[in-house]
Amino acid sequence: MIRKPIPRLHRIVLGIVGFVILLAGYSWVSHRAHVENPRNKTLPNFSQFQEGWHRIATGEGGIEFWADVTASASRLAIGVGAGVLLAFIIGLAMGCFPVIESLLMPPLAFFAKIPPTAMLAVYFVFFGVTGIKIFIALIAFGIFPTLAQAITQAAQKDVDEHTLYKSYTLGASNFEVVWEVVLKQILPRIIENARLQIGPAMVFLIAAEFALADQGFGYTLRMQSRLQNMNIVYTYLVVLGVFGLVIDWLLILLRRLMCPWFGD
Amino acid sequence: MTRLQLATCTLLVAACMVGCNNKRSTTTGGGGPGGETPVMSLAWSEYPSWSVFGVAHEKGLLNKDEGAQGELEKKWGVDIVLVQADYDTCLSEYGNSTVDAVCMTNMDSLAPSLGRDSVAIIPTSTSVGADACITVGVDSLEALKDVPTYGLEKSVSQYAFERCLEIEGANPDDYEFKNMDPAVAAQGMQTGDANVKSIMVWNPFVMQTLRDREGAKRMFDSSKIPEEIIDMVVVSKSKLAEPGGEKCACAILDAFYQVNAMLADDAERDDTLKALGEKFSSLGVEDMEVVVKETQMYATPKDGIELFEKTEFKDKTMPMVVDFCSAHDMLDEKPSVGFGDADAQLNFDASYMQKVQEGE
Repeated sequence: MIRKPIPRLHRIVLGIVGFVILLAGYSWVSHRAHVENPRNKTLPNFSQFQEGWHRIATGEGGIEFWADVTASASRLAIGVGAGVLLAFIIGLAMGCFPVIESLLMPPLAFFAKIPPTAMLAVYFVFFGVTGIKIFIALIAFGIFPTLAQAITQAAQKDVDEHTLYKSYTLGASNFEVVWEVVLKQILPRIIENARLQIGPAMVFLIAAEFALADQGFGYTLRMQSRLQNMNIVYTYLVVLGVFGLVIDWLLILLRRLMCPWFGD
Repeated sequence: MTRLQLATCTLLVAACMVGCNNKRSTTTGGGGPGGETPVMSLAWSEYPSWSVFGVAHEKGLLNKDEGAQGELEKKWGVDIVLVQADYDTCLSEYGNSTVDAVCMTNMDSLAPSLGRDSVAIIPTSTSVGADACITVGVDSLEALKDVPTYGLEKSVSQYAFERCLEIEGANPDDYEFKNMDPAVAAQGMQTGDANVKSIMVWNPFVMQTLRDREGAKRMFDSSKIPEEIIDMVVVSKSKLAEPGGEKCACAILDAFYQVNAMLADDAERDDTLKALGEKFSSLGVEDMEVVVKETQMYATPKDGIELFEKTEFKDKTMPMVVDFCSAHDMLDEKPSVGFGDADAQLNFDASYMQKVQEGE
């Protein structure tokens, strides 16, 4: 039978095996490249990685790891924060009031379909090319349309009409219904959708940093791949992956903490 | 899940990984019409002296596809594969060994040659004004100290910026150079972004910005440092050593010189310039006249050989470029640079130009 559960231990072992295969595959490819050309820099071997880590740790060779982390993390945090806040207000309003929905949904649905990375140039015109504004705008407006639509849908579908009638019968005002009833019920959905938008947000961040940052992950990735220091590039990519997993895990934790009734 | 299933899964995944490891490299050759034709792939990006290869394809001199030959490919009995990509992508493709040859500048050749022994077979052009610092509302070098200049860090832009300042008698350390993609910096200035008062970019951005932004002017440009920024074609040493490698190199050079001959011919000049302009950007014939003046081509083998043999270039310019790159963290170690020295990691070799010259 398909989907037959397997023991937890097997799951863990298989997970580790997955990574081991990946690592073994890479080592083999790298080894072969070094047999062909011992000075190969594009598929670094372990000692080349160590050298790269040493450079990152000591800040040698113009690599400022912590400055990159701070720059990228703050851009991402402010950008996602602004996007979520905007989507929360507009999405909730659209979900609760059909007038607002009719007015805003068509343009939103339209803009949700244009990838922000395709209109980078438009962002540069409107938000300038210096300072942090452009990063925040790109991330916030990048994730806002999809997120707002999801929140609207949650407010409309996930809240049972009977609950609304009951609240009104008990004498609740419009505001109280929205704040106390609707919001409470859709909060886990909001957090969940925000979590799913972290991926796209990172795409927008890196795209912008590739073009116009002088610090941050996108900047270092571009510079170092230009200079073919792939030992630095791969290391940064791994850190970026871990970075994403940590944010993911934090948001799941937040959801469990704020909405324990929602379950896993 | 049984042990057997587990083992099968593992094997399957491993088999996939091995299967995925086929390199898209032409180093093995054999793709040509006769099965024996030597193949060389050349990555180029849009730049006046490199778009020449795009024009060579259009004019039927080289056919960019593998397995198809243009006029000159037949003459030399080789198959040249032209790959067009962004400049940065070209650099990575060459570094990854996915292509055998690449169009790049003398300073950008240093880092790749640390990983892959390289031979510069031809200088295509030198920047004489094509890299410029453009300012709006900044009229003196003194005033330039107060505003950041935007341009691509660790590139010819930063090099030209610092060298020009030095020549003007200023200290580059007093000036702020901030990283930004040249296309974006140029766009920022053209839109009128109040924070972008000074940019250091290359063509076509120089021409576009001067045309599209009221009050934009050249502060200084690379005409102060002729023959320091050299655009070239670089080939991996091992590829050149393969049978037919030398012929491939000659076919590439031959194509370059033939398109230049068209440029020199009054009857064909406008037409060729237009074709170059279309490849390069949306600049018309008039603008392209300026562009090719600022990007001075080494139009004949004689010009190219002269540069590679010039004492000034060998003993002054290249060591200076190496020092600049090393001081700006672009190199973890300095590659050995040679001129006709087969052991050097980066070898400027004029012999291919000589062969093409004699072949004519």
